[in-house]
Amino acid sequence: MTEKPENLIPQEPESAAQDEEEIRIGVYTCGCGGNISDVVDIEKTAEALSHMPNVVVSRTDAAMCSDGGQSLIEEDIKNLGINRVVIGSCKPALHRQTFRGAISRGGLNPYFYYHVGIREQDSWVHHDQPDEATKKAIRLMTTGVVKARMLEPLEPIRLPAEKHVLVIGGGLAGLRSALDMARHGLKVTLIEKTPFLGGRVAQLETLFPTEESARDLIRKLVDKVTNHPNVTVYTYAELVGMSGYVGDYHVKVLQHSRGVSDDMADAAIAGCTKEVPDEFNYGLTKRKVVYRAYPGCYPESPAVDWEHYEDGCVKVNGEPLHLEDQPKVWEFTVGGIVMATGFRPYEPYEGEYGYGVLPEVITLPQLIRLIGLTPEGQPLKWQGREVKNLAMVHCVGSRQIAGINKPQPDGQVNDYCSRVCCTAILHTAAELNKRFPGIRVFDLYQDIRTYGRGHEDYYTEASENNVLFMRYHNDELPEVEPAPAGEKRPLVVKVKDYLTWGEELEVPVDLVVLAVGIMPNPIEDLIHMLKISPGTDRFLLEVHPKLRPVETAVPGIVLAGTAQGPMNTQETNAAAAAAAVKMSALLGAGSVELEPFVAYVNPDKCEGLGECIKVCAYEDALTLRTVEVDGKQVQRAVVTPANCAGCGACVSACPNRAIDLRGWTLAQYEAMVDAIALGDMPALGG
Amino acid sequence: MATDKINVDVLVVGGGIAGMQSALDLADQGYQVMLVEKSPTIGGTMITLSKVFPTLDCASCITTPKMSAVAHHDNIQMFTYTEVQSVERQGNRYIAQVVKKPRYVNENICTGCRKCEYACPVEVPSVFDQDLGAYRAIHVPFSTAVPQVAVLDMDNCMLCGKCEKACPVEGCIDYEQKPQEIEVTAKAIVLATGFKITPVDAKAEYGGGKYPNVISALAMERLLAPTGPYGHVLRPSDGKEPESIAYVQCAGSRDKSLGVPYCSRICCMYAIKQAMLLSGALPLADITIYYMDIRTFGKGYEQFYQNAKAMGIEFVKAKVAKITEDENQNLRVRVEMMEEGGQVEEREHDLVVLSVGVLPAYNPEAVFGVPVSSEDNFIEIPSPNFEPCNTGFPGIFAAGTATGPMDIVDSIVMAGAAASEATAYLHELAAAENGGVTHD
Amino acid sequence: MADSTEKEMKILILATLSGGYEGANSVGQSHFEYAANTYVLPVVSPAMFPEDFYLRAFERGIDAIVVMYSGSDCPYRGAAERTAEIINRVFPKMKERGINPRRLRLVAICTVCAKPFLEEVAHANELLSEIGPVRDEIAAAQAQAA
Repeated sequence: MTEKPENLIPQEPESAAQDEEEIRIGVYTCGCGGNISDVVDIEKTAEALSHMPNVVVSRTDAAMCSDGGQSLIEEDIKNLGINRVVIGSCKPALHRQTFRGAISRGGLNPYFYYHVGIREQDSWVHHDQPDEATKKAIRLMTTGVVKARMLEPLEPIRLPAEKHVLVIGGGLAGLRSALDMARHGLKVTLIEKTPFLGGRVAQLETLFPTEESARDLIRKLVDKVTNHPNVTVYTYAELVGMSGYVGDYHVKVLQHSRGVSDDMADAAIAGCTKEVPDEFNYGLTKRKVVYRAYPGCYPESPAVDWEHYEDGCVKVNGEPLHLEDQPKVWEFTVGGIVMATGFRPYEPYEGEYGYGVLPEVITLPQLIRLIGLTPEGQPLKWQGREVKNLAMVHCVGSRQIAGINKPQPDGQVNDYCSRVCCTAILHTAAELNKRFPGIRVFDLYQDIRTYGRGHEDYYTEASENNVLFMRYHNDELPEVEPAPAGEKRPLVVKVKDYLTWGEELEVPVDLVVLAVGIMPNPIEDLIHMLKISPGTDRFLLEVHPKLRPVETAVPGIVLAGTAQGPMNTQETNAAAAAAAVKMSALLGAGSVELEPFVAYVNPDKCEGLGECIKVCAYEDALTLRTVEVDGKQVQRAVVTPANCAGCGACVSACPNRAIDLRGWTLAQYEAMVDAIALGDMPALGG
Repeated sequence: MATDKINVDVLVVGGGIAGMQSALDLADQGYQVMLVEKSPTIGGTMITLSKVFPTLDCASCITTPKMSAVAHHDNIQMFTYTEVQSVERQGNRYIAQVVKKPRYVNENICTGCRKCEYACPVEVPSVFDQDLGAYRAIHVPFSTAVPQVAVLDMDNCMLCGKCEKACPVEGCIDYEQKPQEIEVTAKAIVLATGFKITPVDAKAEYGGGKYPNVISALAMERLLAPTGPYGHVLRPSDGKEPESIAYVQCAGSRDKSLGVPYCSRICCMYAIKQAMLLSGALPLADITIYYMDIRTFGKGYEQFYQNAKAMGIEFVKAKVAKITEDENQNLRVRVEMMEEGGQVEEREHDLVVLSVGVLPAYNPEAVFGVPVSSEDNFIEIPSPNFEPCNTGFPGIFAAGTATGPMDIVDSIVMAGAAASEATAYLHELAAAENGGVTHD
Repeated sequence: MADSTEKEMKILILATLSGGYEGANSVGQSHFEYAANTYVLPVVSPAMFPEDFYLRAFERGIDAIVVMYSGSDCPYRGAAERTAEIINRVFPKMKERGINPRRLRLVAICTVCAKPFLEEVAHANELLSEIGPVRDEIAAAQAQAA
């Protein structure tokens, strides 16, 4: 590049910056360990910026966020009298707190700081055009400098916070986070959409790698949660309304009635004539419309499945019993919300490996239930036949490839690994070997991912015991077909096995088990209500996997467990506990700090027209008050900061430009637009 | 010598990513934390990495702000170059004797100007750079070290006095500095003692430690890092740009002959990440990954793997039997092709990276009484599906890779969980001790 | 001296912190390449911008503005609707000044909307190569008025 850096600065109007206090700006361009500096010429950027009026120092550093980078800022504030800081680095949200800390330590109000993203929005998206990327970095950072000139000192708004948390979901993650938060001293209300606690873990039999009983573990946890004085549990309840902000969320919970009182519960179950597929057993069995999820479930009281209930389907002493859903509505205030909404198994499409067409094709969750339903000492039977061998297919609904796997109804494929299936299959194979000696397993896999502590043992044991492995490639998926008439076994699995030179094998089997992947529960309504975001894989999205791994972008809403991504029992516990500690740190002090970016009125310009109030959607955020100006009683708009959401709708409504948004003023935007628009940068390098 | 006494809520042992996260999560709630780290700087293994998967953020961009937050937190007392000698339980407290090793530099007045380092005539291999580079006998460990304070490696010092003369702060360099003993009283302990990698020469048939162009993946991290020893990816024997790089997966994991039967969890992802970074740094180089199973199981990891395949990185399912070196110091890699019926091939590469495994860095049994598993030597967790960080000893919790191999994301989450369990313990302890009056 | 048609035409993107701005960051996270004449400014909600803000920007030489708001995911009550109302009122005023109203676009971009973001950038650049710089339109309109 031949252009002189000073020529890269847009020409500014003469009028800029003539304040009383001298504005002394420090500009810091970060190389981000090569992430920025491999593309953007940061030295040139820094030099260009150094020629702007008010810029006293313009520096670069390989990592501005490091202690060394931060102390550059601190020292410049102290030694050079820097009173505005502009940083160009990664996206502002990542390190805002870091830089505010450094600026405060330097003795400057931390809001005298503006952060320009030149990584995600420049170096990472313009690798192939480094000259253009450098020009863009300079221009983006000039917007920072012009904004910085107009910054004001601000103080965060401190508001009392409710030391009460709503946990959505009564599976393992919800129970674990509820228990931890309760033990930390927070009040917790846990709501579970179904009538019973326990979630997906209760549907398992034993857990790897400890081989403990899954339902015993859930029961232990449920007992601790329900006996804790800080916890309230509402089963059969869902969130139907939410407003407010961190520390002060007003929530509305609708709880269905269980329909039958305890004294007649057993009679009602006995007298119930309608049966539906039992979701606890993944449809392998039927249950009544008045039901308990499983023996030992919590609560013990049965509930009526209102979706399937029909008048007259319950009779006691021959008389029809008329049951009514009289939902209760609970409204209360919480400081934060834990999303523990869990997962559901992938549902194969009809005909996927014969599923839904061939009766001998089932899913792994169904096989686990089948084992659980088989009395000790009896053989494993399916459709009345003893199962002597079976094939397990990995990655059904996981690691899918667009163009190869059939997309789901929403057009997406599950391109992620579901993490738990490999160990779950081999753990189940070990269980089969133990319970039904002699049973053979053909394991059709791509990669065996027994990554966890103690997991590899299942793999080693499997190959030593009853499992024969066959490796398929994801562009040549195995096929499941009915066996020709007269064959001993009902199905044939065809697989091109790459462990044997890519030989086409045909394996006759009694049963095919599809290790279906993990998908988040469908919670679109909650996502919409809480304004949280799913990622491209549909799981709820954290702010950053390492910096803020359990927080959502909405303050006070955190993630626990498989709502965020596939996890096993141990990982779910850890994630839920991590969510709990984040919430305790947030609410434990009983107050939260909010950004001061709220509306403010310039009383000299306000004429009390009330246009701002007409467009304001927040109760009591803006009011007209009578004040005395020059001996006259006049109306002026007044902002109540705690009620203002800071959306800025009022700003565009005021014809006098008397109301503006702190930290994001209209005049700042105009200056930034000018910095982008004005002055043309000559072509570089030519 | 007088023993200093410090009274805190929690003693966190280990200043890597897990220890820092546990300390921050506890301190953010108002608990007083003492964090001890045996190295001269906090940051652990993570700070030595180049970029981190799957976001490809630079490692220091994620680590240094946490290091800085630890150093500046009002509720954290950070002690580097400090080790725990013994721990004793008295009632509901742990009394730990810790020793701050002599840096031979006065930590309180050192400005980190590195003038001593420039003056020192003795070069020693840089631990930070996996011995690929060198630093002086007196040095600041690396540019983003916390604290930014020099440390003198007395074993290699000639006592020539040049550093003392070069130091602008009077009395800062102190050849007579003695270990400082501190008695710490803590209500709870978090063990975040981390991991080490399989020694590069653990598997003799791979030639690590013998052939200069067989390096560990952690050494490759340093070659790839912008602050790395050569500033560029060059092969160690002759400084040539490698044209054909091979990764040997499970070089020290899933291998009973090494006593490491388990999967080290991180190697697939770091190899794929390095391969992607290498194809950026050396666009003409061929990169081959020899693997048994690709285990990209974390959030966004499978997509990362598929991207690497699309970029042209070659994945070969094969067992590497032996590596030999030719006269040009290129490497002949004998592989058993697992997808072609075990057929043996010999392939040539000019640089081989061993995807070394994860071993526990520390056995806490002697000092803390906390036993390790006989299966894998990591800290035993009696009920991993219920309390994944609880060691079973009242008030002693474990976080991160001290409890087994895990990646950074999992370590951070685990560290949060350890802080959560410790918080619950402290809260209930306070209630018991104050007859119901709780912490807040 | 470069001729005015060779000057870089600039696209201003006003992107909400809860939507488009994070969408743009997710494009970066995926390392997708796009045209560098795009300048993203983070906004709380574009509901704060009065009509003349847009007109002024065009007059200063911004060739296209894409407002990437959060649409139905907007965390602020009524702000998305208000943004749409304001933008609708800007179009006729652009016409009055001889500015092609296609230079202003309001689109909903979510936090992971990498593909739609790229499509919008490509779309804006296609438009600009078709209709040219804004200053030419403004100059033509002024010449006509004179």
